[in-house]
Amino acid sequence: MKRILALALAAVMTLGLTACGGGSKPASSAGNSGSSAAASTSQPAASGDATEISLWTYPIGGWGDEKQVNELTAAFQAATGIKVNVEYLAYADGDDKVNSAITAGKAPDLVMEGPERLVANWGAKGYMVDLSDMLDATDKQEIQESVLNACTNAEGAVYEYPLVMTAHCMAINLNAFKEAGADQYLDLENHTWTTENFIKAVEALYAKYGDTVAAVYCAGQGGDQGTRALINNMYGGTFTTADHTAYTWDDAANIKALEQLKGMDGIAFDASLAGGDEIAKFYQGILKMGFCWNIAQQLNPNAADTGAGKTISGDDIVFMSFPSETGESKLCGGIWGFGIFDNGDSAKIDAAKQFIKYMCDSANTADAVKTANYFAVRDTAEGADLTGIWADNEIMAEYTKLMPYLGDYYQVTSGWAQARTSWWNMLQDIGEGADVTETVTTFMNEANAAAAG
Amino acid sequence: MAKQPKSTMSRALVRRETISGYLFLLPILIFFVGFVIIPMVICIVNSLTDANMNTQGLGNFVGLTNFIDLWKDKTFREALWNTFVIVIVSVPAVCAFSLWVSSAIYKLNGKLLSAFRCIFYLPVVTGSVAVTVVWKWMYDNYTGVFNYVLKSAGLIEKNINWLGDPKYALGCIILILFTTSVGQPIVLYVSALGNVDQSLVEAAQVDGATNFQVFWKIKWPQMMPTTLYILVITTINSFQCFALIQLLTQGGSGTNTVMYYIYYTAFKLTEKAGHFGYANAMGVILAIFIGLLSALQFKLAKEK
Amino acid sequence: MNLTSNRSRAYKVLSMIILFVLAFLFLFPLYWIVTGAFKTSQDIYSTTPVFWPSQWTMANFAKLFDRRSAPLFQLGALVGPTVPGAIRWLVNTVFMAVAAMVLTCLTASMAGYALAKKRFVGRTLLFSLIVCAMALPKQVILIPLLKEMSALHLYDTLWAVIFPTVGWPFGVFLMKQFSEGIPGEILEAARVDGASEARTFFSIVLPMVKPGVGALAIFTFINSWNDYFMQLVMLASSSNYTISLGIATMQAETSIDMGLLMAGAALAAIPIILVFLVFQKYFTQGITMGAVKG
Repeated sequence: MKRILALALAAVMTLGLTACGGGSKPASSAGNSGSSAAASTSQPAASGDATEISLWTYPIGGWGDEKQVNELTAAFQAATGIKVNVEYLAYADGDDKVNSAITAGKAPDLVMEGPERLVANWGAKGYMVDLSDMLDATDKQEIQESVLNACTNAEGAVYEYPLVMTAHCMAINLNAFKEAGADQYLDLENHTWTTENFIKAVEALYAKYGDTVAAVYCAGQGGDQGTRALINNMYGGTFTTADHTAYTWDDAANIKALEQLKGMDGIAFDASLAGGDEIAKFYQGILKMGFCWNIAQQLNPNAADTGAGKTISGDDIVFMSFPSETGESKLCGGIWGFGIFDNGDSAKIDAAKQFIKYMCDSANTADAVKTANYFAVRDTAEGADLTGIWADNEIMAEYTKLMPYLGDYYQVTSGWAQARTSWWNMLQDIGEGADVTETVTTFMNEANAAAAG
Repeated sequence: MAKQPKSTMSRALVRRETISGYLFLLPILIFFVGFVIIPMVICIVNSLTDANMNTQGLGNFVGLTNFIDLWKDKTFREALWNTFVIVIVSVPAVCAFSLWVSSAIYKLNGKLLSAFRCIFYLPVVTGSVAVTVVWKWMYDNYTGVFNYVLKSAGLIEKNINWLGDPKYALGCIILILFTTSVGQPIVLYVSALGNVDQSLVEAAQVDGATNFQVFWKIKWPQMMPTTLYILVITTINSFQCFALIQLLTQGGSGTNTVMYYIYYTAFKLTEKAGHFGYANAMGVILAIFIGLLSALQFKLAKEK
Repeated sequence: MNLTSNRSRAYKVLSMIILFVLAFLFLFPLYWIVTGAFKTSQDIYSTTPVFWPSQWTMANFAKLFDRRSAPLFQLGALVGPTVPGAIRWLVNTVFMAVAAMVLTCLTASMAGYALAKKRFVGRTLLFSLIVCAMALPKQVILIPLLKEMSALHLYDTLWAVIFPTVGWPFGVFLMKQFSEGIPGEILEAARVDGASEARTFFSIVLPMVKPGVGALAIFTFINSWNDYFMQLVMLASSSNYTISLGIATMQAETSIDMGLLMAGAALAAIPIILVFLVFQKYFTQGITMGAVKG
C-alpha cells in the first residue's frame, strides 16, 4: 500500500512539475500587461496587434457558464483571430480578485459587470478606458438614454459599453400561496400587488406555516437590490436624491417600511444569508418569497434540475413586482456590459474594443444578449433588429410587463461602495433589535460622508 | 543549550564558523528575508504613508495619522477585540481539552490509542476550506444539522441563526478553529504523559498521594516544556482563521478580526478599499500584538 | 480503598463514553462531506437533513468535473490535453505542496544545523527574528508581498504561494531543536578528519536529524495543501488554482449546490487524508520528537 501510494505520489509530482512549467511563466494567464505581454508565450503578432486578451466576467446569466461563453469567444476568435481567456468571478469574492489584480498591475483587459462597479468604482478611480469614441450618433440613438447615462460619468466619459438590462423583481412560491389562501392577494395578470396585500399575504403564510416565510437577507455579498427595492417601494420612499448626490434612507416612508417589516411575524432579518443563499432557500421551498429575483433566474433551471420556474419540489415560481401602496412600483434596474481596464497597452485596448464591438454592436449581438438571458439595451445593432429576439419566449414576453416600472438607475451615486456596506450593516443592526430611526440615520450619514468624498 | 567555551576557539576558527554558518543559512535567508523581512519592513514604512492602490512607490509621509484614524475606527477596535477573544478563548480551551483527552487515552492499548489520536487529528488534515464548507452547511439556519438535532431533542424551540446572530457567530467560528487545533496537542501530550518518570509516580503513590496530587505535583511539572510548546503552536494556529471568516461571515455578525479587516480594507469593494497605508498600519499593530504575546510565552519558557 | 477504586472505575467508564461521543463528533464533518458528495439532489435539498443517502449517485462529481476545464499542464508552448478544472487544480496542489515541502526541508535543515551548531556573529539576533516571525499571520505583509510578487513577475503563478511558505521560519525553529541533539564530538571528529562542511552536513548531520526532516516534510505538505489565504490573493487564473481555492471559489459562486460543494470538498480532503493515514506513524513520531527537543 505504502509503495503504491509513494509511486502514485511520484507520478503526480512529475505531472505537477510539468504543469508548473506553465505556471511559472505568465503564459496564457489572464491579464498580461505592458512588458509582461511581450514575455508571454503568445505568438508575436506582426503588426503589434494583440492576439490574446483576457475577460473577467461576473455571473451574468449564461455569461457565467463556461460552455456558453466558449461558444461566443470561439466565434469571436474565428472572426478576428483574437483569443479571449475568460475567468469567471463570483459576487462573493470577485471584487477582491479584481482589486488584488489591479494592485499587482495585472488587471484583466476586459471586465463584464454593471455601472455601479465599472463607472462608480473602478472608473471613478481612474482604472478604466473611456469608451466614448466607440459611440457614434447612431449608437447613441439606438441605446436607451437612461442606460447610456448610467454608463457615463459626470465628465462625459463612458466606462461601460452596455449590453443588456433588466428590472429586478421578487418571486413567490405559488403553490405555497395557494395552500395558505394567500394567492387572492396577488394580481397574477399584471404581476403586481399592494403593500396592504403583501402584509396580508405574509400573515396568511405565517398562519399556515408558522415559520419564517421571507428573509430580509443582509450577509453583505451582493443582492442588495432586492432589499432596497422592497423597503423603498412599500411606502414610496427613495434611496437617493434625484440628482444622485446624497442618500435619503431616513425618508419617513423608508423608516415606516423598516418598522413594518421588523414587526412582522414570518419576516426575518437574516445576517447569515446573502442574496444567493436567499434564493437557495426559496428554491428549497423554505422561504415562500424571494426578494433577489430577476428574469434570468426565472429562465434558468434550478440546481436540482426540476425545470425552469419551479422550486426543487416542483412548485410554481411566479415573478412579482415589489409591493407598493398603489401597486405601481419603481423597480431597480440592472445594466450589464463591458469595460476595459487601462493596462497601458494600446494593442490590447484595441483588441478589447473589437471584442466589445463584436458583442454589443454587430450582427452577433443577439447571441451575446441571449446568452445573458436579459433584454438588449438597444433596438438595433448595426442594422440587426434586436426587438424580436425573445419573441418566441413566453416567459420573456410576460416579463416585459414589468419593464415599464423600471425606476431611476441610482446605483451610480458617489460613495456607492460604502453605501452598500452601510446598508447591509444597517439591516443587520435593525435585525438585532436596534432602534430603526437612529440606526438608519447613523448608517445613512456614513454613506453620505462617503458620497461627499 | 550548552555554551561552548569560547576560549577554545581560535580566531581563524571563528571566521571559518561564521562563513560556513552563513553559507548554510544563505538559502533560507533568501526566502526569509525576501518574503518575510522585506515585506515587513515595507509594511512598517508604508503604514506611515497615505499609500493607496494607485500609488507608485511609497506614497506621502503622513506620520502617525493612520494609527490615530485606526484608534478612532470602531470596526477596527471591534476586530482587535475579537482577535483577542479568539486567542484568549481558544488557546486555553485547546490546551485543557487536549490534556484531558490525552490523559484519558494514553494508557489504552496501541490500536485504540492510535485510532483516537487519528480521529482527533483528522480535522487538521481535512483542510480549512473543506472543513469550513461543511460546517457552513451544518450551521445552516434553516436546514442545518445542528438546528435539526437540537430541535428534535427539544433543546431549542426556534432555529438558531448560528452564523447570522452576533451572539453566536464568533463562538461558532471558535468552535471550528478548536476542532482543527486539538490534533497536534493531543499527540504531544500523549507522548509526554508516556514519558513521565514512572519511579517518581510510584514513589508518590506509595506515600499515599491521590491521582490528582500525582498529576499536579509530578506529571504536570514534567510536562511543562510540552505545554509551552503547545501554547506556542496553538497561538500561531489561532491567528490562522482567515478562511473561516472569509467563507462563513465575511466579517459580519460580529466576527471581524484584524487579519480579516486588513484583507477587507485592501481589496473589498468599499470606500476604504485600497487604502494600503491604513491596512499596513493594522498589520503593524497586529505584529506588535503578536510580538508581545510571543515574548511573554518565551519569557515563561525561560523561567521554567 | 474499595470506594476509590469503584469511583475511579466509574470515572474510567464515563470518560470512555465521553471519548467515543467526542470521536463521533470529530468524525461527523468528514462523514457529512463524504455522504453529501454522493447524495442525490433530493436528499441534498431536503428541508430536514438526510443522514444516510437514500441513493448513492456520482452526479455531483459529474457536475464538478463538467464545470470548468483547463489543460492538464502547460510547459511553455507544450499544452496538455483538456481535462476538468478540478483535475488540474489537484495537479497544481500536488506540485505546490511537494515543491514547498522539498524547499522547506532543505533550507530549514541547513539553517537549523547552522543555528544550533555554529558559533557566529549575529546568530542570536537572527534566531530572535525567526522566533518573532513565526507567529506572524501572513495577512500582515499581504500588500507588500503582493506588490513584490508582481514586481518579480510571479503573481498568478504557484511560486508566489510556494516561496512565502518556504520563507516562513517555523521549519528553521523545528530543525534547530533537532540539531541541538547532535553531539559536538562527532562534528569535531569529522572536522579533524578533514571532512568538508558539505560532506559533514550530508553524511553526518542529515542522517541524525532525519526524523525531524520527516516530520517537517509531512507538516509542510499538509499545511501548504490546506492553505488558502495566499492562494486567494496570489492566484488569478483558474488554470493556476489549487484545489482549496477552486472549492472556495465554487462556494462563492454557488453557495446553493451543497452536493457539488461536498464533492469538491471530498476531492480536496480525501487524497491528503490518505497520505496522512499511510504516514501516520512517522508523523506522530516526528511531531513528538520536535516537541521533546523543543
